[in-house]
Amino acid sequence: MTFIRFFLLLSVLLLAACSESTRTPYSQLDQQYAVESGGTMVDALSGEPSGLIAMLAGESSASAIAGNIFNSLLKYDKNLELTGELAQSWQVSADKKTITFHLKPNLKWADGQALTSEDVLFTWKVMTDDKTRTPYGADYKLVKNASAPDPQTFVVSYAHPYAPALDSWASLHVLPKHILQGQDINNSDFSRHPVGSHYYQLASWKNGESISLVRNPNATQGAPKIDRLMSRIIPDKAAQFLELMADNIDSMALNSVQYARIFPARPELNQQFNLYKELGNSYTYLGFNLKRKPFDDVRVRKAFNYAIDKQEIIDGVLLGLGEPVSSPYKPGTRWSNPKLSPYPYDPEKAKSLLAEAGYSDHDGDGIVDKNGQPLSFEILTNQNKEREMTAVLIQRRLKEIGVDVSIRVVEWATFISRFIKTGDFSAVVLGWGLGQEPDQFNIWHSSQQEPGQFNFIGYKNPQVDHLLESGRLELDPDKRMKIYHQFAEILYQDSPIVYLFAGYGLPAIHKRVKGIDNPAPPAGIGHNSYEWYIPSTLRRNEISAN
Amino acid sequence: MLKYLLKRLFWMIPMLIGISLISFFIMHLAPGDITTTEAGFNPKASEESRQKLRELYNLDKPVIVQYGLWLERMSKLDFGNSFASHQRPVFWQTTDENNNTKLGMIQEALPITLLINVLSMGLIILIALPLGIISALTQNRLPDRSITLFVFIGFAIPGFWLALMLMYWTGVAHHWLPISGLHSMGADKLSGFAQGLDTLKHLILPVFISAITGLAGISLFVRNGMLEVLHQDFITTAKAKGLPEGTIIFRHALRNALLPLITIFGLSIPGLIGGSVIAESIFAIPGMGKLFFDAVLMRDFPVIMGILTIGSALTLVGNLLADLSYAWADPRVRKGVMQ
Repeated sequence: MTFIRFFLLLSVLLLAACSESTRTPYSQLDQQYAVESGGTMVDALSGEPSGLIAMLAGESSASAIAGNIFNSLLKYDKNLELTGELAQSWQVSADKKTITFHLKPNLKWADGQALTSEDVLFTWKVMTDDKTRTPYGADYKLVKNASAPDPQTFVVSYAHPYAPALDSWASLHVLPKHILQGQDINNSDFSRHPVGSHYYQLASWKNGESISLVRNPNATQGAPKIDRLMSRIIPDKAAQFLELMADNIDSMALNSVQYARIFPARPELNQQFNLYKELGNSYTYLGFNLKRKPFDDVRVRKAFNYAIDKQEIIDGVLLGLGEPVSSPYKPGTRWSNPKLSPYPYDPEKAKSLLAEAGYSDHDGDGIVDKNGQPLSFEILTNQNKEREMTAVLIQRRLKEIGVDVSIRVVEWATFISRFIKTGDFSAVVLGWGLGQEPDQFNIWHSSQQEPGQFNFIGYKNPQVDHLLESGRLELDPDKRMKIYHQFAEILYQDSPIVYLFAGYGLPAIHKRVKGIDNPAPPAGIGHNSYEWYIPSTLRRNEISAN
Repeated sequence: MLKYLLKRLFWMIPMLIGISLISFFIMHLAPGDITTTEAGFNPKASEESRQKLRELYNLDKPVIVQYGLWLERMSKLDFGNSFASHQRPVFWQTTDENNNTKLGMIQEALPITLLINVLSMGLIILIALPLGIISALTQNRLPDRSITLFVFIGFAIPGFWLALMLMYWTGVAHHWLPISGLHSMGADKLSGFAQGLDTLKHLILPVFISAITGLAGISLFVRNGMLEVLHQDFITTAKAKGLPEGTIIFRHALRNALLPLITIFGLSIPGLIGGSVIAESIFAIPGMGKLFFDAVLMRDFPVIMGILTIGSALTLVGNLLADLSYAWADPRVRKGVMQ
């Protein structure tokens, strides 16, 4: 019994130790404040990065953190147009094979050493080294010759003109030669103690718990307003939401239920948080194995496209928080063809297209058939709630035009290696990126159908092949735009996949963080995060045990 | 006795090799490897570079060769480096030539899981023993019925749901306890004692949740053991002798009833290092359960094998310990072992 008494005493002590924190009245949150520096912003990460060299780590959490530490030569601005980051300017030679980057003057690493074109050259060498364990080396291996003729200039030349090159230089984080030279990059401690040149530098990394960044005094792009960024690793979305409600984190990415159901029902949340909506970087589609019957028939594919109600999927699966797409590019950016609009929901047209292709219900069992074969197939998808629900809605709509669909859900690694690589599937619900770079050679070119390559649906159209090839050779943005508009239009007519939707990213950010663009530009709200600020009266009490 | 011990220890070696061989093959039966999970579906990652990675990790060799390589490393007690998390050592820390120390993944996850499991095990025993005894003494009456109902509710209730409800109640509705994680923000600025208190506060909910779900097993075990003993002749004799009730229950009945618990504790030793994936994800605790689960999803073979090997070794040791302590506690068994 003494034990029980001891425990009671302990719990009373513990409860007493947690004092109620003093809170800012909600009304103060909506006032206007002057811009000022300082403060800490806390957000939540669902996964822990494996390291902070993004090209080796690969996962999105690594890119998210490393993006605040490292610079690239180029970057995308708020409208997703390329602009200089470390580079002040760049020129493409007349034969389009050579790109010359001029670095900004007086660039420095966080440790005070000068950042020069030698560092860029070194990074390129690391990326193309056969011993480097990265899956992302392909773009850089196309460089025939790279050189750093003087500390401000970096020159790369390609065997053929290669338009996606500029995008590749916008995604390569420049690494410091003076620290990494002679080290084995795969095992280097650098990935956990990085030295970069961007707004922030690593302050601490507690495994599995949190990663803290602090302002870099030598930042190449000027000083950000907020002093410290802290990312807490909280794998469970529900737990993240509780932490947000308790005001222990400033921001998180909501799911559609939290955004569309919980927030409207709780006024006290709306008083504390601003909600944002930004179009995500990927779209979900229904893809067909074009090497199999009946998917080789464009009329059947179009019939499926007309039979599926995309708005219903957006309303049902995303609670309305998404947009239909009609090309593989972000609506509203230059690459997206404004003439295209999604196939309307038209079951009658779908039925007549099927009849045209020879499918009608001869035996009266409710399933259309041709030569005695009923039209039935299996939709495969991975364990992803959105995709599973989408598949169910598709199943129901296709049933209405007499197509029998079954659904199979498998784990991701199994999905890829057992079904996609071997081509052993009829139809899949999957997602592709809405690229900032329009080149989609790897996904649509007919040469990319080997196991492990990305044209696994087996799409083959000589016209598209030609457009994709010429798009890679063309560096002039306006001419490129015409090429990719035409490419999207042919894809739209061929309907090798049914574009379903692009979901919104739904960040909720505490109102103490000011200076955020609303509505979000195409690049999302994060494009000017260095200008965000937290007025000192609204800051959280930083050294508190609760 | 020594001979018996040596024999048991010796037999563990072929057993461990057998277990690891089977685990290794089953692990490779699952489709995919690290190159499918890491950037497997990014158009910027080419198939050639993935093939190159496969070669670097020896994943292109036949499974039996890979097992041989693994066994060779294991014979030097080298658990290898993780594929997925930037070559971190799987088991214990390593220091490179520049004096940078990389902590082992199991080394970091194990103490946390162990702490939670030992605490919750202690809590379970503290609560389950009295509950079980009271149940047995009031068999089929109100206290027994309500205790049984209570422990079964604890057993049946979904742990993640209860966890979320309690997190909401103690963390959001009232600011009594922290919601998730192990340390508060800025806890490193506090004194050592305050830091300990802070971590303890973070542990209350996880320990409570894992204890309440484990209560039913032990308390019913104690109850049934007690009932069985209470109906035996020597208890009747003790009562007939006029011994006080307390002496009968605690000296004669309980000690006999607790014998089977030794087996249970022996078997729960490997369980002590295995965390619960769901609880660890919800409470954002970087423990063993999460480590293993993530490793399986990423097909991070060295980590999977490392945890499985340590787990199976501990299971075998736990069995041995259970047998030994049983022999120590029960003269009838001791005789059997000696022969």
